[in-house]
Amino acid sequence: MADPRQPDYVAILQTLIKHQVDFIVIGGVCAILHGAPLMTQDVDIVHSRAPDNLPRLLAALQELRAYYRGQGDRRIAPNLSYLASPGHQLLMTTAGSCDILGTITGDRGYEELLPHTEEMLLALDQKVRVLDLPTLIQIKEEVGRDKDKMVLPTLRHTLAEKNKQ
Amino acid sequence: MNPPSSQPKIGEPYTPDYEEPPYSEDGEDLTLIRWMLSLTPLERLQAAQSATQSIMRLKNGRSSTT
Repeated sequence: MADPRQPDYVAILQTLIKHQVDFIVIGGVCAILHGAPLMTQDVDIVHSRAPDNLPRLLAALQELRAYYRGQGDRRIAPNLSYLASPGHQLLMTTAGSCDILGTITGDRGYEELLPHTEEMLLALDQKVRVLDLPTLIQIKEEVGRDKDKMVLPTLRHTLAEKNKQ
Repeated sequence: MNPPSSQPKIGEPYTPDYEEPPYSEDGEDLTLIRWMLSLTPLERLQAAQSATQSIMRLKNGRSSTT
């Protein structure tokens, strides 16, 4: 079994892709996929809460043996009703931490964010949908927490360098 | 065999000749960003993952001995 203290972002994303989950990568992993030289310890995604997507997401999370973080010795696994909520599911998996978000700031869910995304090729036949970099920057500006403000210069310079290419 | 002419001679000070500024005015290391942009998305993830894992191994190692 993988060591959850050693995050494996690729394994988490590939498991979601394998189960054909509709999701958008946001947060630090999104920034890294865009080329920002940052580090993060978890994978943040906004998932589609469409009824046909939730069983696929649950199957992927079961394969990753997901359970809620911060519950002491209890191992509470997510279920369909939890995943249907607009709230945040903060999970630990065999491949590290994974936050499953129904909505983010401004009550934006999968459908609202979809026009502000792009697909990236992770491997052959493995595409991952990520928030576009200008929108990621905009959201971090809106949220305005210290940890978001800290990475803004790196994100802005990454966007500028990307635009030169 | 002599080293290529672009290589500095041993003992001589070396000043890299950057095509573009290595740092932004606010101190951001642009060479790291350009290097990341030269990678594929998968390679970017693997590089970040490897760096994070190294730091966590160091952190775990330190906490286990104190």
